[in-house]
Amino acid sequence: MADETKLASGDSVCLPNGLVSHGDSRTRRVYETARSLHSGAVKDLLSLGVCERCIFRLIPVEAFDSDVSSVSTSTLRSWLESRDDETGSLESSCSRICIVCLGILQFVFSDAKQKLVKTDTSSDYAARITELVKQDRREFDSFGLEVSVPSIIIENERAVLSYLKGKYSNESWLQIKKISVKDALKVLVLDPLRASLGAKSDSSTFHIRLTYSRASDGAQGASEKTHESKRRKTDAENGSNCISENSFEKVYEPCLLSVHCNKMPIFFSGRYFKYSRNVSQSRWIIDDERMGEASVEEILGGNILPACLGDSYKFHAAGREDIDVRMLGSGRPFLIEIQNSRQCPSEQSLKEVEEKINNSEKKLVGVKDLRCVGSQCWAMMREGEAEKQKQYAALVWISRPLEDKDLNSISSLIELKILQKTPVRVLHRRSPLDREKIIHWMKVEKIKGNSHYFLLHLCTQAGTYIKEFVHGDLGRTTPSMGSILGCRAEIIQLDVTDVKMGDS
Amino acid sequence: MEIQKIEVAKNPEIEDAIELPKKRSHDEVEDCEEQQQQQEAQEDEKNRVEEEDELRNLLLSDIGDLPISPPSATQVNFVTYFITDFTKSGHDQYIYRHANGLCVIGLAPTHIAFKDEGGITNIDFNVGKSDRSVLKVSGKRKKNALRSESNTALCKVSTAKDTYIVRCCVKGSLLEVNDRLIKQPQLLNASADREGYIAIIMPRPTDWTKNKESLITLEEYKEKKELSL
Repeated sequence: MADETKLASGDSVCLPNGLVSHGDSRTRRVYETARSLHSGAVKDLLSLGVCERCIFRLIPVEAFDSDVSSVSTSTLRSWLESRDDETGSLESSCSRICIVCLGILQFVFSDAKQKLVKTDTSSDYAARITELVKQDRREFDSFGLEVSVPSIIIENERAVLSYLKGKYSNESWLQIKKISVKDALKVLVLDPLRASLGAKSDSSTFHIRLTYSRASDGAQGASEKTHESKRRKTDAENGSNCISENSFEKVYEPCLLSVHCNKMPIFFSGRYFKYSRNVSQSRWIIDDERMGEASVEEILGGNILPACLGDSYKFHAAGREDIDVRMLGSGRPFLIEIQNSRQCPSEQSLKEVEEKINNSEKKLVGVKDLRCVGSQCWAMMREGEAEKQKQYAALVWISRPLEDKDLNSISSLIELKILQKTPVRVLHRRSPLDREKIIHWMKVEKIKGNSHYFLLHLCTQAGTYIKEFVHGDLGRTTPSMGSILGCRAEIIQLDVTDVKMGDS
Repeated sequence: MEIQKIEVAKNPEIEDAIELPKKRSHDEVEDCEEQQQQQEAQEDEKNRVEEEDELRNLLLSDIGDLPISPPSATQVNFVTYFITDFTKSGHDQYIYRHANGLCVIGLAPTHIAFKDEGGITNIDFNVGKSDRSVLKVSGKRKKNALRSESNTALCKVSTAKDTYIVRCCVKGSLLEVNDRLIKQPQLLNASADREGYIAIIMPRPTDWTKNKESLITLEEYKEKKELSL
């Protein structure tokens, strides 16, 4: 082109003789793309009331990318229109809301106070969004952008496309997949938003959601919608030729835009130990009275929450143990989910949390490997629960003295299948079922000076009720320790000594 | 309390780890690397042994007094009640009530059936309108459970001499009957208070409160029967 003078931020100037001078290479590219679009289709779409950026989307010669965002709406319009000799009525078309995107890609919307907001460039639009985000007064380094648009846009687009197909059936650009309004908006505004908010964009935990909704929603809107969709359906059935320019005689209102900020929860994983026989795993309150003197959940959550400046926490563990059972050995994997955290604690502060819990006076609970994890942590938890083997040490009493041959008869039982009816102590809240479980191995450790007590080490399938295996649960678990040894057996106390999970 | 370490749980992994360094010392060329690996393996080994020792200490130090005869699981987890001469003289039954509300019903030691010579020889759950042993209760909500009144018949127990009807004593949903008794009626003679239980019933809280009034405690039962159990 003739003039290559450098102009401000990529905009171009329309010179009186119809020649255009360009700011930079980006706008030049967009200009050239605009010129290369099928003129007949462009003219049709313009007269139908399709906006400039939608035209770029629906007649995709080049991939719709952020370069388009560098050009203002009015400039785009002039490039698309100036191809014909007829200049058309510039003003009236400009102010019309696009029949496909309902003004979304024209950066036109209605705000919370129902005031119409018109911005011409993507940076103006980004500035408006930034204002709304800053009202929330949150701090963030990075954000993820989410966009939600009314569903009628899909129908609008389908109608316009089938109209184009009817008229320009053999054009190559008809076959190419079109970028959606949602994705197009993201492409257009992401960079300007990044600049305007002063933050990076990634799939972070802080989300900004732009929700566009139709102004006239409700009963009237719904019936309107079904009416339109019915009409369009029959048109589609009869053939695309039936969709004429007249089908689109509608005046649309701009959409209502609301901006919401949401912080996704952050997760911490680790392994916990329970050294007390009077601490429940999760907060346990019956009739306003707490059972046990504390809970693992409250000790862990209560210490991690302040380090994150969060609102609340949720505790998840890979399996559970009774209040009177200690969790020793390698510890049990757990997740703490923090809602609305305002800062991500550093490695140092996590270490301090660990130390605080481990060095506390009462030594009820211990923790290790505390770290911040991403959303893939759930897969880790799920696989830990059902599949893995658990190891225990139980203090057992029997009604007759232990003999040496008992040691062998017990340790020789490998992969022992047992059948457990739902234990009486949980039968009130669980289904009455017969559960087959496997005891992988057992070892007896004698206690000096006492032939009625011994320490039983055993490794079982996840989900096995150990206490019931020892005392038999009134004969509802078979075989049981008692039936194997031919006497009465009772369990005095139980410790979990290992929770195996994958390779850790 | 000292522990005799005759049968310690041998972790097979330990033995393998100890063998490893020995094998590696043969190859001269990769000595350095292997020495490092050896050291690491030994340190891992040391850590593991330390952890295991720590675990053992924790396990063993927690063993307190070991009474000669500790309370049984039933005594610890249930509250024992009795009902005597229920609908008929000599029909004494026990009701173990768990903290979760469930009641285990069975024959008390003084039940008249035990007085017959030879004890109980047979049990039949087919009484009243249905065979209690074929009822299938399913799900958390205990669908299909028989709604019983306290005098609903549970089963008939027979001795050489006579047949006696055993009743629920508790109003509620019948969750389970001990069908092992069908094939092994001698469980009733040998341990009526454990493996010889008859049924498990789930009463509603309000029904239980009313029911409880007709039951007596273990102490009262002992007194009544003038026995020392």
